[in-house]
Amino acid sequence: MIMDRLARAFDDRLRLSPLTRRALAKVFPDHWSFMLGEIALYSFVALVLTGVYLTLFFDPSSADRVYQGSYAPLDGTATSAAYASTVRLSWDVRAGLLIRQTHHWAALIFVAAILVHLVRIFFTGAFRKPRETNWLVGVTMLMLALANGFTGYSLPDDLLSGLGLRIIVSVVESIPLVGSWLVFLGLGGEFPSDEMIPRMFVSHVLLVPAVLVALVSVHLAMIVRQKHAQFPGPGRTEHNVVGSRLYPSYSLRSLALFAWVLAVLFALGGLVQINPVWLYGPSAPGQATSPAQPDWYVAWGDGALRLFPPWEIHIAGHLVPAPFFPGVVLGGVTFLALYAWPFLERWCTGDRRAHQLLDRPRDHPVRMGVGVMALTFFGVLVVAAGDDIIARLLRVPVYDVLYVLRVLVLVLPVLAGALAFLLARALCRSDAARLGELTRADLRAAGQGADRRAGGRRVRAGEARAVDEPELPTPDRPGQRIELWPDGGVWRWRYRDEPAGVTLLNNRAMLTEREAVDSARLAYPGVDHVAVPGPPPPAPPGRVRIALRRWGNAALGVSLLVAALRQRRQRHPDGDGPRPE
Amino acid sequence: MSRRPRVAPAPSGVNRRIILSFLVSAAGAIGFAVTYGLGGHTQWEGACLAVAFVGLATGLAIWGRRLVPVGGYVEEHEGFVPPPDEQALTAAALSAPDSPIRRRGLLAALGLALTALGVAALFPLRSLLPWDRARPLRARRDTPWGPGVRLLTAGGQPLRPGDVPAGALVGVFPEGGTDAGDAPAFAVRLQPERFTRPPSAGHLDGLVVYSLLCTHAGCPVRLYLKGTGRVLCPCHQSSFNLFADAAPVAGPAARRLPGLPVAVDADGYLRATGDFTAPPGAGFWSRP
Amino acid sequence: MPTRGDRWSHVTRAVTVGMVVALAAGPAALAAPAPNAPPGSNAPSGPAAPPETAAPSAGPSALAGATQGRELYRQNCASCHGDQGRGSQRGPSLVGVGAASVDFQVGTGRMPIPDEMQQPRRGRPVFSADEIAALVEHVTSFGGGGPGIPRVTEGSLGTGRELFAANCAPCHGGTGAGAALTNGWNAPPLYEATPVQVAEAIRVGPGLMPVFPSQVLTDQQVSDLATYVQRLRSERLDRGGNPLGRLGPLAEGVAAWVVALGLLVAAARWLGRRAGE
Repeated sequence: MIMDRLARAFDDRLRLSPLTRRALAKVFPDHWSFMLGEIALYSFVALVLTGVYLTLFFDPSSADRVYQGSYAPLDGTATSAAYASTVRLSWDVRAGLLIRQTHHWAALIFVAAILVHLVRIFFTGAFRKPRETNWLVGVTMLMLALANGFTGYSLPDDLLSGLGLRIIVSVVESIPLVGSWLVFLGLGGEFPSDEMIPRMFVSHVLLVPAVLVALVSVHLAMIVRQKHAQFPGPGRTEHNVVGSRLYPSYSLRSLALFAWVLAVLFALGGLVQINPVWLYGPSAPGQATSPAQPDWYVAWGDGALRLFPPWEIHIAGHLVPAPFFPGVVLGGVTFLALYAWPFLERWCTGDRRAHQLLDRPRDHPVRMGVGVMALTFFGVLVVAAGDDIIARLLRVPVYDVLYVLRVLVLVLPVLAGALAFLLARALCRSDAARLGELTRADLRAAGQGADRRAGGRRVRAGEARAVDEPELPTPDRPGQRIELWPDGGVWRWRYRDEPAGVTLLNNRAMLTEREAVDSARLAYPGVDHVAVPGPPPPAPPGRVRIALRRWGNAALGVSLLVAALRQRRQRHPDGDGPRPE
Repeated sequence: MSRRPRVAPAPSGVNRRIILSFLVSAAGAIGFAVTYGLGGHTQWEGACLAVAFVGLATGLAIWGRRLVPVGGYVEEHEGFVPPPDEQALTAAALSAPDSPIRRRGLLAALGLALTALGVAALFPLRSLLPWDRARPLRARRDTPWGPGVRLLTAGGQPLRPGDVPAGALVGVFPEGGTDAGDAPAFAVRLQPERFTRPPSAGHLDGLVVYSLLCTHAGCPVRLYLKGTGRVLCPCHQSSFNLFADAAPVAGPAARRLPGLPVAVDADGYLRATGDFTAPPGAGFWSRP
Repeated sequence: MPTRGDRWSHVTRAVTVGMVVALAAGPAALAAPAPNAPPGSNAPSGPAAPPETAAPSAGPSALAGATQGRELYRQNCASCHGDQGRGSQRGPSLVGVGAASVDFQVGTGRMPIPDEMQQPRRGRPVFSADEIAALVEHVTSFGGGGPGIPRVTEGSLGTGRELFAANCAPCHGGTGAGAALTNGWNAPPLYEATPVQVAEAIRVGPGLMPVFPSQVLTDQQVSDLATYVQRLRSERLDRGGNPLGRLGPLAEGVAAWVVALGLLVAAARWLGRRAGE
């Protein structure tokens, strides 16, 4: 009742109900891959929540501080305040280690989820017009996530992260002309400086998160404004979105995912140790620990540093050191390519239309090939970052691993990319639904170039017709129609496709018949409208109903069978042939 | 909103499962609070919280999948190409006769002012490197080492040649600059007859001192492989051959480790006779 | 296909539960010790009680010991190291290696080795403590001095940690989990080493390991180090749960991808799939 009055009070002042009604009725496509971005979003929320808690205990300072606490090997040792407070947080603050570890795991998951989300967007072509801007926002967030992950990894001022920071400093320093100045301005002097930790802290807890929050808002606002893209299917066109409404169905499931993300993060945070800084010890110049690796999301850079041969060049007597190429150039090219891809693809394919229907990955073999090639390349680089661990586990010389990886990093991506390209083309040209159904003939046909349309796209006639559907209204299709009806004081409509057995209800009630007709026209241009008076039609068959019906049928069948068997048994109690009645 | 009957009344099993899930969740939360109150234990705390959230997730998921309709709705999509007249109206509103964007001259002047402000705003960024500190080129070239600087061990003791036995690697730091990032060095004793290339900074009866920082990315090359005369970097596995004046032999490093010339003073302690033979650590643009 | 869907979600749930249980299994073992051991009780008592090899007992009679040592040497060592320990094509000279070296190599099961290999690995010692003592005595009789078996006393954890970070962490890792060196050599993990073996390795420098004679580390410092290494193997240091082999961030990354992201994507598949699809 109080909620009711409160809501009414707000509505009387802000007139929120039309907006709220639209928002609650927003339709989300029901495909699991659309929830990958939400995993990233919820990890980010977890990061902010746990991070705020950590700031209450962390002391971002390089000043000397004597640690006194229950971790005996460090008790009474003078270290930096940052390190001492991190060990304190881990050993002497109740629940501190849980939150710290959860924060670190959430960071790993955050970046991983962003990457998986990006891969989904890439292979389904969801970055095409009108969503290029959101792609740019997303790539920027990935970059910021990497940067913030790295500063977070470095903040405890432990020995392992000290090595990582030293490497990053060397990479920045390798930039021609401005490298040293960038480092000195950033650190306030030579590495390791006293300003280092406070500055990283400000960037880690304030600057970058603030930008991230802003970009997340922009990202989501743009999704709401542009609506979701969707996979092709019956009843789905370039002019509508088919799925569940935000309220109640999707919000419940999304909250479930949120809770699940937190469950996994806390399970890891409590049960699996991450970054035991007390074991690594405080950072000190001249000390090292081995094996030395960064967190996985910067490992590709570390792997590239390991694999790149010792080549240094001189330009007019100035040195361009080896880390410049695998560090700065590779990183720059990677993000430039990510930023440029939507425009590059549009330029290559000449496809300037807006797309609300997604590709299946196979629909675009060139994109498939390039994507798999890039993923393989970065995968090998990440593996290369662990070459010493591999050498130790396999008991082989580390330089042998290095040479093998140097070859693999060039060969494997090309092979994988070509294979992906051929398989995608074979799938797209044949009628196979899955990889396992491909025949040898399909593969052979895929190998022989020929029938490629502009941009390497080839859409199968029957299934994905909607992709190439012209923007003009299509002529009436048999079996499809729109039904409108008055429902109390409002109007509703629904779309029915009898042959496909699809019934889709409009996501919200309309105030007038005119409005309902307009909305239906937008969603299904050219489909016949029929006004049906009288009783409201049955609700769309949900999962429950189908399940109930099937279980009911099954139960009926089973009970009939049981009954029949019982009857037989009663008729023949000892089973030795028919007994004369 | 809707007065239509929703899904059929839930099968009681579903309700029971949802309630059970939320009860499990509450139990997990209570477990967490109790664990915390009893003194805290990272594993139990994590497990309890995980159980709490798993319960929550399961309950919400069953609810969202079984008690409300999944799918079956369609929303129209307006498209994003606005009608031409709408576009024209907006454009007209922006370029009305009194519109600021039509006064090109004023706009140019405004642009100049804003550019000047923007550039001026960059100047205070220079304060990020305090003015009383050394500029990068100078700071990167100079280290605390110099003529007469004594070699200290990690423990702060001055070093005699006898403190560096064969087969050991001793980390050394300059007196008065032990915390400097570019100063760490190491001393080892090698058999002079095995030198394939004389150390550029000379040697004292086989005792050589080199910078500890890898010339690739600056990590300390603390991994000394006794007998082979090699040091290895833990970060990217560059290795250097000390018998050949610390030349890089494998891995991504391209330059030798800079040597430190040392001599024995009257008291028998080791002192540097100059700075490193080259700026230590990773390469940079203006490195000589 | 709701039935198939149901079965699938059961499978997913079973896998999920299995993973959580597997995750819990590691730390569950750790959960046994007291949650917050009082600071005072953290000093290990390990090094205070030296193991059997530390004090070679004189045996029933010195003569019997000498005979036993000679016999063991002839049977197990002489084929490679030569009758008088002068070495051969197949093994290095043992003259002047010292008692610590012999005790370390034999006591950690690295010697005797059946075949030549670059770096012998730790294993179960072949000989009993008495036999090892006899063997040590026999080899030291070849002469040449060399470091004796160090006596390890209770040391300071704090100093030990600092010395470890400065001298041992570069190769054996800050966590003591070991690391790869060049050409197939490894710095082994330190978790199985006894305090005396740690001290012996410091003084002797087996294989490629540098030596740390008394000019570099005093006896007290060696004891401090041994104390810290004993502490390092303690599971109580893995306060955060399963240590993933203490292999560092890449192992954590693998866990994040395989376990966590696997669970999350499975959940998304369960939550996001449309009924009947």
